[in-house]
Amino acid sequence: MSFIPGQPVTAVVQRIEIRKLRQGEHLILGFSIGGGIDQDPGQNPFSEDKSDKGIYVTRVTPEGPAEVAGLMMGDKVMQVNGWDMTMVTHDQARKRLTKKNEDVVRLLVTRKSLEQAVKHSMM
Amino acid sequence: MPMDRYADMEDKLRILEDLNMMYIRQIALSLQDSDIQKKIDHEIRMRDGACKLLAACSQRDQALEAAKSLLTCNTRIMAYMSELQRMKEAQVMQRVARRSDGTRSSDAGPMDDRLPCKSKVAISDLRIPLMWKDTEYFKNKGELHRCAVFCLLQVGGEIHDTDMVMVDRTLTDICFDNTIVFSEASPGFELRVELYSCCSEEDYSAGSAPRKLASKLSSSLGRSAGKKLRVAMDPGACSPTSHGGAATLLLPGPAVAGPKYHLLAHTSLSLSHVQDSFRTHDLSISGNEECSYWVPLYGSACCRLAAQPHCMTQQMMSGCLKVKQLGGDPQSWTNVYGVLKGTNLFCYHRQEDMEANVEPAFTIAINKETRIRASEKDPHSKAQSICISNQYGGEEVTHTLSADSREETHRWMEAFWQQFYDMSQWKQCCDDLMKIELPSPRKPAIVTSKQGSLYHEIVIDTSDDISTVTDILTRQMQELELRSQLGTSPPWMSLFEESPGGPRTPRLARHSPRSPHRLPHSPLSSLRCPWPGLLSSDASLTSDSDSPCSTSPCSRHRGWAEPLSLSSPRFRHRGWAEPLSLSSPRFRPRTLSLDAKLSTLRGRGYGGVLQCSCQPPSSSSLAPIPAQCVPQATLSCSSSTSSNSSSEGSHSPSSLDGTPFSRPSSARRSLMNLRAKLDPRNWLQSQV
Repeated sequence: MSFIPGQPVTAVVQRIEIRKLRQGEHLILGFSIGGGIDQDPGQNPFSEDKSDKGIYVTRVTPEGPAEVAGLMMGDKVMQVNGWDMTMVTHDQARKRLTKKNEDVVRLLVTRKSLEQAVKHSMM
Repeated sequence: MPMDRYADMEDKLRILEDLNMMYIRQIALSLQDSDIQKKIDHEIRMRDGACKLLAACSQRDQALEAAKSLLTCNTRIMAYMSELQRMKEAQVMQRVARRSDGTRSSDAGPMDDRLPCKSKVAISDLRIPLMWKDTEYFKNKGELHRCAVFCLLQVGGEIHDTDMVMVDRTLTDICFDNTIVFSEASPGFELRVELYSCCSEEDYSAGSAPRKLASKLSSSLGRSAGKKLRVAMDPGACSPTSHGGAATLLLPGPAVAGPKYHLLAHTSLSLSHVQDSFRTHDLSISGNEECSYWVPLYGSACCRLAAQPHCMTQQMMSGCLKVKQLGGDPQSWTNVYGVLKGTNLFCYHRQEDMEANVEPAFTIAINKETRIRASEKDPHSKAQSICISNQYGGEEVTHTLSADSREETHRWMEAFWQQFYDMSQWKQCCDDLMKIELPSPRKPAIVTSKQGSLYHEIVIDTSDDISTVTDILTRQMQELELRSQLGTSPPWMSLFEESPGGPRTPRLARHSPRSPHRLPHSPLSSLRCPWPGLLSSDASLTSDSDSPCSTSPCSRHRGWAEPLSLSSPRFRHRGWAEPLSLSSPRFRPRTLSLDAKLSTLRGRGYGGVLQCSCQPPSSSSLAPIPAQCVPQATLSCSSSTSSNSSSEGSHSPSSLDGTPFSRPSSARRSLMNLRAKLDPRNWLQSQV
C-alpha cells in the first residue's frame, strides 16, 4: 500500500456496501475513521507506511452496519461512492460518509491481507 | 507612606462597618424580626472566618475553597440585607397608608387574595458542556490551563453553592453532582444560576513572591501571561468590591489578596422550566477569551429542575365526611375520614387507618378536570353538601360529600378552592408528583484519574469469556479451511491436515468445561470431517439461531471481485456481542476490549495446539507484520494486519511455539500502546 505522491495508486481492494442504520434522526454506519491530509500520519497505528495520510478505519462497532458489511478495523478507505478518499482532509472524509440523503455507501477498502491472499491464491 | 494610607483606610472601613452593623441591628429591631438579624450575624462570622483562612492558607486548593465561601457569604449577606430593606420599606408603606386613610381596615386587600402554597424546588445534575477548540483539546502541548468553577444558586433569600470543580481541557463538561433543594418557593420563583470561575494557574497570594518570580521567568511573558500579571498587580483588583458586589460597600469586609472569582455565566430558571426530566437552558456568558478566568462554554446548561408544591406533598385538609355516590341509594351515606392531598381525596374508613398507612377505602380524584359545586338539594341534612364530579373514562361520576356542620362544609369548600388555585398556579408540577432525591450523606469524592477525558473511559471487560474466544478460534480455523477449499490449498494448509485430531482435542477439553453453554464440540468435530461438511457446520455455527443457514460464506460476503474470493467470510460476531453486553441501544465501541481479551488469553498460555516456529507477532498486531514470518504462518500474520481481533485469535493457535507465551505484561503494554496511539488527542478520529 505504499504510494508515491503524484503517482497512481494500485491496490487490491474490496468493495463493501454499507447500509446506514437509522437511529432516531441520525444515520449511522457503525465505525470510526482516522487520518486525513490534515492529520499527523505518524500517529496512525494501522498504516504500514507512516507517511500515509489516508483514511483508516479505527473502530468497528460490533453488530453495526459496517461490521455486517464486512468492514474491518485497520482498513484503508480508498473511495466512498466514487469519491476519492486518499487525498482528503479528515472532515471531508467524514462528510462524504455522512451525507444525509444517502442510505447506502459503497466503499472501496484495502488491507494488507487482501494483497497477501491474492498472492497466495496465485501461487 | 503607602502603608500608612492603607492602615488609615482599614480603620475607616472598620468604623464604617460598625456603623453599618448598628444600622442593620436597628432596622431588625424595629421590624421585630430577629431571624434575619441572626442570619446576618452568622454570615458575617463565616465571612470573617473565610478571610482569615484565606490569609493563612498556602495551598492553592484551600485558597480557592476559602475564596468560594467568601463569595457565598457575601452574596448571602447582600440577600439578607436587601430583604431587610424590603421589609422595612413595606412596613413604612403600610404605616403611611394607614395614616393617610384611617378608614381602611388593615385586613382588607391582602386577605382576600388567595396565596398559593409554597413548594420545594430542587435542582440537580447540573451539567455545563464545554467547547474546546480541537487544537487545544487534542494536542497536548503547553501547560494545562485550569480553572476552578462553581455555581451559585439563588431563590429569593436562599443561596446555595455547589462544590468546586477544577476544569481543564481534559474535561468535556462541567458536572456538578450536588442536588440543591430550596424549601420555600412561590410559583413566581426565579432560580438564578451563576457560574463563577477563577483561573488557577499562577499563585497570586501575597506570600509567594519567589514562586511568582519563578513562574514569570519560566513562562515567557506572552500576552496572556502578561495580562494575568497585570491583573494581579492591579490594586483595584484587590478591593473588596470584587468579592461580592454592593453588599460589601455597606458591610465591607477586610481586603484580602487571594484568588478572585469572577462571574462567567448566568441564567434564570422559573416555573416554566420545571419538568421531571433533564432540560437544556441557555446561558448568558459574561467575559470573553481575553479574561484570565475564561472557560470556553458551549452556551447552555443542562439540569433537572423539579418542584414539589406543598399541596402535592402535604395534607391540605382532613376531617370526617359522609360520602354518597350519585345515583345510589339516597340513604347510602358512608362515613369516612377524608384526607385531601395532592390530586386525590383519600377516604379512609377510620382515622386510624390513615395513620396506619392502610389503603384508603376509595379515592376521589381532585384534579384539573374535576368540578366541584355546592348543592342545596339534599333536604335531609341541614348543611350544604358538596358535589364532586369526575370523568372516568367516558362517564361522569359524581360523589356527594357532606360534613357535620356548616362551618366544616365551608372549610372543605375553602380547601378545595385553595387546592384548585394552587394547581392553577403550579401548573405542570401538579400533574404528577416529581421525585426529589435528597442529597445523600457526603461520600468521599472519587478521585478521577489524571486523564479524565471522555475518550479514556472506554471500559475493558475482564469477564472471563474463554468460550467466546474458543468460538472465535474455531471459526478462524474454519475460515482457513474454507479458504483452502475455495482456492488452491495454500502450502501451510497441510499443517492443519497433518494434525487433525490430536492437538485440537486437548485444547477443546481444556476449554469446554468452561463453556458449557457454547457449542464446543460440534464445530470441532466437523473439523475432522472432510471438507464438504464444513459448509454446513460453519453455517450452523455462524447463523444466529443455530439453524443451518444455507448461505455460503462467499455469498454472504457479497464478493464481487474474483481475486477476493479468499476474503474471510464474514461471520456475525454473536459470540462476542453477548459478553460485551451492549446495554444501551447505541453501539458502544468495543473493539479495543476484544484486543485486550485476546491478548490476555495469549498471555494465559492458550495451550499448545500447533507447533509452528513462527514468532508470535506482537499483540500490537496492528503494526506491520515482521517479514520474518515463516510461510506457513503467513496467513495468520497477514490476516492479523487486518487488525481484526478475530484474526489475532487466528495466530494464537498457530503461533504457540516452545517459547513461553507472550508475557501478559507485554500484552497489556501493547494494549496500552494501542490505546495511546488511538488517543484522539494525538490523532483525530470521527465516528460515522
